[in-house]
Amino acid sequence: MEDSINIEDFDNLDNEENEETEEVPLTAAEVIELMEEAWRNEKFAPDILPNKSEVVDCLLGQISYMEENLRNLKTADFQKSIHQLEVDRLRFLVSSYLRQRLQKIEAYTFIILRQEEQRLEQNEELYLTNSELEFARSYKESIEQHFDDILSFWPGLPSDEWRNDPVVPNINSFVFLKSKNEIEGVVIDDGTEEEEDLVDFKTGSQLIISYNSVANLVRSGEVQLI
Amino acid sequence: MAMDPEEVEFLAEKKLVSIIPTFNNNVIHLISGDIGPFRASLPVNVPLWIAVNLKQQQKCKIQPPDWMDVDKLEELKEEEKVSRTFVKMPSEHYMIEAKLLLGCASDDIPRADEIRTVIKDIWDIRMSKIRSSVDVLVKGAGTYAAVDNLTLMEINSIRPLLPHALDQLFRMRKTKKYGGTQSQNSSTFLSMNVNSKNTPFKS
Repeated sequence: MEDSINIEDFDNLDNEENEETEEVPLTAAEVIELMEEAWRNEKFAPDILPNKSEVVDCLLGQISYMEENLRNLKTADFQKSIHQLEVDRLRFLVSSYLRQRLQKIEAYTFIILRQEEQRLEQNEELYLTNSELEFARSYKESIEQHFDDILSFWPGLPSDEWRNDPVVPNINSFVFLKSKNEIEGVVIDDGTEEEEDLVDFKTGSQLIISYNSVANLVRSGEVQLI
Repeated sequence: MAMDPEEVEFLAEKKLVSIIPTFNNNVIHLISGDIGPFRASLPVNVPLWIAVNLKQQQKCKIQPPDWMDVDKLEELKEEEKVSRTFVKMPSEHYMIEAKLLLGCASDDIPRADEIRTVIKDIWDIRMSKIRSSVDVLVKGAGTYAAVDNLTLMEINSIRPLLPHALDQLFRMRKTKKYGGTQSQNSSTFLSMNVNSKNTPFKS
């Protein structure tokens, strides 16, 4: 079993902040670390974050490799039970992360798809993976089908009105975060737009703040939601 | 979204603890890194989840972390009592480590019952500080607050209540803005943040 892994296109993983990730092979432990960070961010961010499919694929690769090896090991071996336990823990991490994203896609299908189309048009980085996009589209179709079917029983109701008011995430919701860097002059969105408060984050400081004020810092990886 | 206490525990279980194995085994190459080699009666560091697992199989003795000591904890408790802010805990996951280690290895930890009591006391003191801070924060309609030195489990214990309360206050401020009825006390909403208030939520 190897300790480090080489992933060729890992350099676009943290492209904004970490120039040094280019060509630097990550150890499996570091990949797990990134997976944990992504999991926690996805858990607490009200909207969907850019996907971390490189991390997921890499970790799943490690897991399958380990499971392959475990099949060849003698049963009831003490070492095997430890390995199995670790594999189960990592599987939990990955599935919980992916499930989290699916939940958001189901809850905010329309708005997520609309934003994704905009990103596509403007050639920006896409947030959903191909399979997530496929899922979102087919989910949207079945929702629309369902509403069409149901609303046809109420001839008086305008059949399209429900489309005008899609469910949106509350991007102002309050989140806890830990700052990974020294960040100066974060603008606090307090909902009034009158006087803008600024706050400086020290490395390692923890705050509760509205997500809107720090959303770009979460995406760039400068702060970690906790 | 919320986090279960079990998930906080999951994160804490990465923490290394020292064990004294009762068996011999070569290095184990885990995905998260190597552990071992294990030599009977020689201390070795392993992640908490492995330590608990081995202890349950009677394959090791646990060496309690340095801070898990009645005198040190009593000192910490006194400090927490007099400090107006939150004292930095010796471990980011002190509550979980204590719960797991005391749960499976109280025979390896001297004065385990006393440790359990004093840790619970520290937790209670901190929770009461948290409650009074939350009260000040919500009444002052703060727009952000520093929660330095709170551990993950403590933060998790005021979720979702505090974020939800602040969400509601945010909505009220916004509605007020669109309603065009700027009341005379809107200025207090603006400049208020908890750093200027008399509360332990402070760096």
